[in-house]
Amino acid sequence: MAERFRPGDRVLTSPADPAHHTRLPRYARGAAGTVVEVEGRYPLPDDRSRGLPAEAEPVYAVRFPAAGLFGAGDHQVVLALWESYLRLEGRSGRG
Amino acid sequence: MGDHGGPAHGLAARVRRVEALLERRGLVGAAELDRALEAYLARATPANGARLVARAWLDEGFRSRLLADAGAALPELGLSTGGGIAEQRLKVVANTEDTHNVIVCTLCSCYPVALLGPSPTWYKSESYRSRVVRDPRGVLREFGFALDQDVEITVWDATAESRYMVLPRRPAGTGDLGEAGLAALVTRNGLIGVAPV
Amino acid sequence: MSRINDVGGMDGFPPVEQEAGEPPFHADWEAHVFAINRALIGQGVYNLDEFRDAIERMPPQEYLAASYYERWFHAITTLLVDKGVLTAQEVSGG
Repeated sequence: MAERFRPGDRVLTSPADPAHHTRLPRYARGAAGTVVEVEGRYPLPDDRSRGLPAEAEPVYAVRFPAAGLFGAGDHQVVLALWESYLRLEGRSGRG
Repeated sequence: MGDHGGPAHGLAARVRRVEALLERRGLVGAAELDRALEAYLARATPANGARLVARAWLDEGFRSRLLADAGAALPELGLSTGGGIAEQRLKVVANTEDTHNVIVCTLCSCYPVALLGPSPTWYKSESYRSRVVRDPRGVLREFGFALDQDVEITVWDATAESRYMVLPRRPAGTGDLGEAGLAALVTRNGLIGVAPV
Repeated sequence: MSRINDVGGMDGFPPVEQEAGEPPFHADWEAHVFAINRALIGQGVYNLDEFRDAIERMPPQEYLAASYYERWFHAITTLLVDKGVLTAQEVSGG
């Protein structure tokens, strides 16, 4: 399956607070970031930790301004996020 | 060293007992346990990361290759990220005049062990993991590192399979040093990003 | 639901403390815990995601009071019992 996102895309992380193991930290829930690059394809830990079948899906390095995450800060935070944690907010340039 | 008496004392006995039971079930063997430890302790060392840095400082082509695809560049120095549970994807991030990088795993303790050796306790602590994403400049000050206000910090949180390593800036006045001399300047803290080099 | 390990941005922890010349393991049992975990994952008894999940499911007070390898041992024994490899009595040393 092709990647849904590309470098430069603006994405929003899921606001969900799941009952199971996940690798989207609480501080980055429901946050707006920019895709830096595709890091690879790996099975979703949310599923693997529960013994569910997990196909590999893209993982993206996504950059967030700290002010958007914490309300303050002049730094950036990059997280490595599975595609399932993201949805597209905007794409610039030619589609 | 470590705890005498208290929970850790009873814990040592419990660990021995569980290990013995697992050996009896054929799930772990002494040779296998030794191999796991050897890979972790002997072959994994920050000297590996330091060699990558020194080569990148001396060889612009290598530096480009390392930043573009670290996994492909490692074998040039006979290195790999293997030896652990799974081969990891390495991403090297370069400090520049305007940007400084620091790495963390807020959720647990992920770390490029093959290139930095076993991680220090402070890296795995709630103190570091909680604070560095919110106030990296303050954490760097705790390490005695006063980063220029003009330099922007990027914190890399190892939430997936990639392991990040910092490529520090080459210190001034090191023009006479060869690769070994340059590698000797690089510290584990520099590769994590809580020190300049 | 948010778990105790998910501390990014959380306030109130003490200053970071470095231990000079720190060894990889502070006691023999820690090295054994490390090696046992490698062996069990290698054998497919459980996977790394299940291991992390087991650590995260520790009661918060226990998690915070436990050292790094104490957490590992807690997760290993939890999974060994969950998977029916050992009994609760066998892992508790009772």
